[in-house]
Amino acid sequence: MEVSVIGNPQARICRAELAYRELGFRFGSEVISGESRNRVSFCNQSSKWKEIAIRCSQRSVKCEAIVSDDAPPFLNSTPKSKSLESVKLFVGLPLDTVSDCNNVNHLKAITAGLKALKLLGVQGIELPIFWGVVEKEAAGRYEWSGYLAVAEIVKKVGLKLHVSLSFHGSKHPEIGLPDWVAKIGEAEPGIYFTDRYGQQYKDCLSFAVDDVPVLHGKTPMEVYRGFCDSFKSAFSDYMGNTITGITLGLGPDGELKYPSHQHNVKRSGAGEFQCYDKHMLTALKAYAESTGNPLWGLGGPHDAPAYDHQPNSSTFFSDGGSWESQYGNFFLSWYSSLLTSHADRVLSVASSAFSGIGVPLCGKLPLLHQWHKLRSQPSELTAGFYSSNGQDRYEAITEIFAKNSCRMIIPGMDLSDEHQSPESLSSPESLLAHIKTSCKKQGVVVSGQNSSTPVPGGFERIVENLKDENVGIDLFTYQRMGALFFSPEHFHAFTVFVRNLSRFELSSDDKAADVEDETVSIGSGTGAPSLQTA
Amino acid sequence: MSTVPIESLLHHSHLRQNSKIYRGTRSFFIPCSLNLPSHFTSTKLLHSIRTSVGASSKHRRSVAVRASSSDTAVVETAQSDDVIFKENFPVQRIEKAEGKIYVRLKQVKENNWELSVGCSIPGKWILHWGVSYVGDTGSEWDQPPEDMRPPGSIAIKDYAIETPLKKLSEGDSFFEVAINLNLDSSVAALNFVLKDEETGAWYQHKGRDFKVPLVDDVPDNGNLIGAKKGFGAIGQLANIPLEQDKSSGEVQKKSESSSDSTKERKGLQEFYEEMPISKRVADDNSVSVTARKCSETSKNIVSIETDLPGDVTVHWGVCKNGSKKWEIPSEPYPEDTSLFKNKALRTRLQRKDDGSGSFGLFSLDGKLEGLCFVLKLNENTWLNYRGEDFYVPFLTSSSSVVETEATEAAQVSKHSKKTDKEVSASGFTDEIITEIRNLANDIHSHKNQKTNVKEVHENILQEIEKLAAEAYSIFRSTTPSFSEESILEAEAEKPDIKISSGTGSGFEILCQGFNWESNKSGRWYLELQEKADELASLGFTVLWLPPPTESVSPEGYMPKDLYNLNSRYGTIDELKDTVKKFHKVGIKVLGDAVLNHRCAHFKNQNGVWNLFGGRLNWDDRAIVADDPHFQGRGNKSSGDNFHAAPNIDHSQDFVRKDIKEWLCWMMEEVGYDGWRLDFVRGFWGGYVKDYMDASKPYFAVGEYWDSLSYTYGEMDYNQDAHRQRIVDWINATSGATGAFDVTTKGILHTALQKCEYWRLSDPKGKPPGVVGWWPSRAVTFIENHDTGSTQGHWRFPEGKEMQGYAYILTHPGTPAVFFDHIFSDYHPEIAALLSLRNRQKLHCRSEVNIDKCERDVYAAIIDDKVAMKIGPGHYEPPNGSKNWSVAVEGRDYKVWETS
Repeated sequence: MEVSVIGNPQARICRAELAYRELGFRFGSEVISGESRNRVSFCNQSSKWKEIAIRCSQRSVKCEAIVSDDAPPFLNSTPKSKSLESVKLFVGLPLDTVSDCNNVNHLKAITAGLKALKLLGVQGIELPIFWGVVEKEAAGRYEWSGYLAVAEIVKKVGLKLHVSLSFHGSKHPEIGLPDWVAKIGEAEPGIYFTDRYGQQYKDCLSFAVDDVPVLHGKTPMEVYRGFCDSFKSAFSDYMGNTITGITLGLGPDGELKYPSHQHNVKRSGAGEFQCYDKHMLTALKAYAESTGNPLWGLGGPHDAPAYDHQPNSSTFFSDGGSWESQYGNFFLSWYSSLLTSHADRVLSVASSAFSGIGVPLCGKLPLLHQWHKLRSQPSELTAGFYSSNGQDRYEAITEIFAKNSCRMIIPGMDLSDEHQSPESLSSPESLLAHIKTSCKKQGVVVSGQNSSTPVPGGFERIVENLKDENVGIDLFTYQRMGALFFSPEHFHAFTVFVRNLSRFELSSDDKAADVEDETVSIGSGTGAPSLQTA
Repeated sequence: MSTVPIESLLHHSHLRQNSKIYRGTRSFFIPCSLNLPSHFTSTKLLHSIRTSVGASSKHRRSVAVRASSSDTAVVETAQSDDVIFKENFPVQRIEKAEGKIYVRLKQVKENNWELSVGCSIPGKWILHWGVSYVGDTGSEWDQPPEDMRPPGSIAIKDYAIETPLKKLSEGDSFFEVAINLNLDSSVAALNFVLKDEETGAWYQHKGRDFKVPLVDDVPDNGNLIGAKKGFGAIGQLANIPLEQDKSSGEVQKKSESSSDSTKERKGLQEFYEEMPISKRVADDNSVSVTARKCSETSKNIVSIETDLPGDVTVHWGVCKNGSKKWEIPSEPYPEDTSLFKNKALRTRLQRKDDGSGSFGLFSLDGKLEGLCFVLKLNENTWLNYRGEDFYVPFLTSSSSVVETEATEAAQVSKHSKKTDKEVSASGFTDEIITEIRNLANDIHSHKNQKTNVKEVHENILQEIEKLAAEAYSIFRSTTPSFSEESILEAEAEKPDIKISSGTGSGFEILCQGFNWESNKSGRWYLELQEKADELASLGFTVLWLPPPTESVSPEGYMPKDLYNLNSRYGTIDELKDTVKKFHKVGIKVLGDAVLNHRCAHFKNQNGVWNLFGGRLNWDDRAIVADDPHFQGRGNKSSGDNFHAAPNIDHSQDFVRKDIKEWLCWMMEEVGYDGWRLDFVRGFWGGYVKDYMDASKPYFAVGEYWDSLSYTYGEMDYNQDAHRQRIVDWINATSGATGAFDVTTKGILHTALQKCEYWRLSDPKGKPPGVVGWWPSRAVTFIENHDTGSTQGHWRFPEGKEMQGYAYILTHPGTPAVFFDHIFSDYHPEIAALLSLRNRQKLHCRSEVNIDKCERDVYAAIIDDKVAMKIGPGHYEPPNGSKNWSVAVEGRDYKVWETS
């Protein structure tokens, strides 16, 4: 041994070097400032450390960010990133993201918010694009700059984008239909939905004018087609990479329905039929004559309750009431067929406009859960959902969706029966289950949304809905970004929600542990959860 | 010696003879064997030198010297094997440590006693304590007198002190804190809980605070310590041995020496008590992994060494082709290896001879890309690395480590590039990784940052919070839908809108109909009834009654059985009568609903008070899980904790259902018209909305009371953050309730006391409190039963109350007047202001224009028909078309109205 000391001094040096490096390494990982011990070897090691650290933690960094909270990070079970990917989570941007003069509102807030969501592990963003903003001035003059700017931000932050083409207006915030359309509407009020008191609903064109050339010689469908084409070319750079989905506005609030409550905020009743505009009445008359009951074509049901009346307060919706009569069947079949054919028209226009770009199309349904426990389900009837054979009221609609290979967005996934006021005989849960079953039958893919205002226990309910393996929901859009969304209470709850979303996925991984390609999960999958009990 | 072929490494039997090299300290590896039989082990020796963090250069030198004592073969092999990966992974294991807490009361001098609290388990112990004074009847805590506070104590709000426990002496395992008790003070009892800052855990006594009584009539709730026959205490503490210091005997205190308020301390005795505690301790262990490439066989040799005690099984697989999928390598395997479900291998590590841990060697094909593993300690305990599998990457580069520094550097950078590629190729990554890198770079502008992974995590969390907060603040200021306007608009849409529970009619004036002493007579309801006509004639429209339920404290804020409405204020029938009487004179009545917490009826099997009785016989599922004291099994609290009683978990459906039912019952049974909601900081405002929707009150107001912002003891001018928290809460209730405008009270305090009236206008020229932002939901007040009365937690500047009333009774918001002030010398002035407010029809949304806001005077014009000024400075309302006449005038305030 003595010999070695004398005989090979070189080796000693090497060895000492090595020891230093190891020290450096330890310093690096222990965060003790190593400057005072700086050696060249230290730097090397610490850069090596850095790369190792990142490598070890790519997933954990992302997931820990989600797990958050107080427990020491390494004691938390680590949800696999895959879990979040299997249910894609999107968050909607504010409705007034782009102002009607094409400025991006609260740009800084949106940028900061998007970054936060990205770090949190949210996959994408939903952007409502309003007809009334883009084609505001004149027919065929499109102004996309504001929305393009938003798309660019979303792309830069590294999020996906789902756009909703909105052919309707909004009350809060105030966004109308294009100015030139509104002008036509002044001269020709028949283009708007109208109730039996003659009140017009000016935030959406009547379904009866779909194929009537009311807009400077063009039909609304032709105008929508032009809008879609213009959108497609303006956003061609983003299509398929950043933009991963397009929703077509199918009616008031973007949902496929009649505006049966018009703008009444308080929805104490079941809504009213909106069939009193000129074109609707004409169509009804023609239909009545063709079925040999010309007297039935003079107007809507006379015995339907008013907006603020209980559905049972008059005879139309009560058990054995007019809705079940021959007349009821006649009227409701016609009323609902217009809704169905409107959906078909818009979706056909869209699928031909966007064919070949590889971005899935979606349409949104309403969740008309109020009065669902009444046999007549009057909220659904006034909104246009009816089936003459007394079977599935959503069958015709889902068929249209299936035919156009369109996904269906169902809102209200946060609603639970127990939080509904008992007087409204509401059942969001059973209605949701019903629509989902209907979609499954036709093979229509379902995406989820929440209702627009937070409800108690909402997040838990959403997770439950997403867990439902019967209908695999792979995309959920949370509505909607804004002050309330980022308020400390809510944002915290949202963070917890994202965590829960990944938690249940973890457990389903466990179940899948026997599947061949799940080897990876043995380590962190089965191992990790038990850590907490250790 | 170097002739032993590497292949033999595969045979662990051979290796076992080397195991002695692991003997010795854990953190510092001493190569003690000179008989190293193979070049492998000797390099192993080289690379497993593990120096503790603070190792000095002396240590390093010693390494070198010792190393040199090995034979030449060592050096040669060191040059021929590459260390391709070396990492020391920290791992944590949770263990339960048991120990004891002791409480000792000792007499130092005649009237000087010392209370020591100690703990035998290591930790960062904090004594969280407060006192009760003679005459206090509730279980709330108070701040101890200054001279009782040991050095290093920190005051927590106005009810507690936190004092850290210190090690008695170096080498002693006990941590202790001693408090000097001066019995001349009127302290009746000392209350405390023990908190471990390391784990955030709280330790208490039988589910309640520890309570050391210093006088003989402290009510016993089963949590007294040292209560003995001397006090005639109600029962011994079970299973806690009472060790009495015999020498002290019965120490008699002379009551004459105590101050008037001091009760008899005759029975005060020295005592010493111990109680067992257990704590979950995270044990830090480490796993050190070294991977080398043997240049002769081109195999990767991985050694895993750990100081984890007991049997350790490595559950492992190898990675190929850039994926992180676990695969089974080809044989041969190390000894003690079994195949697990065809997905992984399990190898038990060899125990080190000295029992200080285990180790194992894995020889793997050189073409593999890496080794993944987790450690299994027993059936239920697995360890991974921060939630990830351990991963050992193998380099394909063949350059020697022990060449020059430059080569090393090059190699590292090559390595890192490769990793990048690998990462982007593997399926699970996305841009987040670059995001995180950018972020990390942003945060630490220099590249060679030495933060560890954990710090990066925290930075990301912080970053998310920061971004969300930024987005929030901008959205809030630019989104009109969040402010009053849209609500007004929504209301305006429906002309015959129902009265909103957040505002009542908009013209409400609230009277707080009790003070902290009102429970004393036992017939408050009856006494109050007699004042009904007077209150009505003064112009009040709403009366706030004290909490009506059975309560552990006489004031009613520690409710127990919610359905028992016989309280110290009177019986349920008297209550109903009173409500009827006020209804008759046209005053609506608010019930004080304490929803945040509730006192339990029974103890659970651990002796913790968390089982409820009465009609709402909830169990511990109704209690939030993060309440430090009460072992709740509910969810985490959606708000702050009130720690004197179990905090109710409002996220539980059954709880909400029961509370809604109870609120409706109170409406029905008692006839309440609305609610004053106690301590709403404790739970999410969304639940409050739920309750309001269910009970449909005429008017409701919540108490969201937290501290204003101060810098160096001086109140900040900008209290936006404070009012924002209140506005956020109101918003969470969707405006279904108003909230007490604590901000305005706080600012008035400073403005009036220090003659800083400039504080009364915010930068936008609006009132600086909640009333400036959301007037219709602001319930302005200057005093209540907590802040004033006999508690005086935060008393309004004395003598300046009328300026306060001149402000709130002329300004928008819904003003609340405190009972004590109405029936005081201020009566006529308050009456005049009330009558002015009603006469001029000022309401909660009145428009206020601040006309003058200077050091010594604040003046404003409200709805163009009332002008007011407070402060000693001069002000006259502007001459113009209006004819101002003085309506009310008093010390440093003046109010005009147009005629």
